[in-house]
Amino acid sequence: MASILASCAGAYTPKDRYNLRIFNVWIIAAALSFAIATLLIKARYVDTGVLGWGLALLTLGLSILAFRSYLVFLRGADELLRRIQLEGLALGFGAGAVFMLSYRLFERLGAPKLDSGDPFVVMAVFWAIGQFIAMRRYGAGAER
Amino acid sequence: MNNRVRELRGTRGWSQGDLAERLGVSRQTVNAIETGKYDPSLPLAFSIAALFTLTIEEIFHPNGSGVAPRSTRPENRDFID
Repeated sequence: MASILASCAGAYTPKDRYNLRIFNVWIIAAALSFAIATLLIKARYVDTGVLGWGLALLTLGLSILAFRSYLVFLRGADELLRRIQLEGLALGFGAGAVFMLSYRLFERLGAPKLDSGDPFVVMAVFWAIGQFIAMRRYGAGAER
Repeated sequence: MNNRVRELRGTRGWSQGDLAERLGVSRQTVNAIETGKYDPSLPLAFSIAALFTLTIEEIFHPNGSGVAPRSTRPENRDFID
């Protein structure tokens, strides 16, 4: 485990680390905004008027900024890091697509109905797993 | 793809981090190239060759060939030189 963490630390150039930090800030802000907006709207603290739409648009704006900062990170990334990201995205996208297609059949057979956002969770989890696997493949046991 | 990056780096006394900094890549990239887990892009291969003042063929050669590239074989040296 220690060798994997060490190799992860060596996977980023200073520029990658800076761009990743910006992405993390926006993605955390977008997630918080989404959670707060959902709670407020569900609990009816906020109606569907201007405030409700304002919160929804704020979440949308923050999500777009997070998406844009990820593209900046990816375009400027070290070439091996780009490959690692590609493998992570491929696994995430593939797992999400398989899940979406197959679960619809399971739903028809009586499996519990899922929320439309659930495949996104599968994608995100497998994206992270894919990055971890690729990072291990290219970096485990790296010397200093 | 086999390569001599580790050997060349060793002769200069550089760490992987030193070489990575000179090439503008991560230390993991240098490690992955040295261990043969990753083949560099053409621009990066050119940068490595330029840094060691060698040609790409003198640093990288196909897997398992174990044969020096044509241009570096002694029998071709006279013709080239």
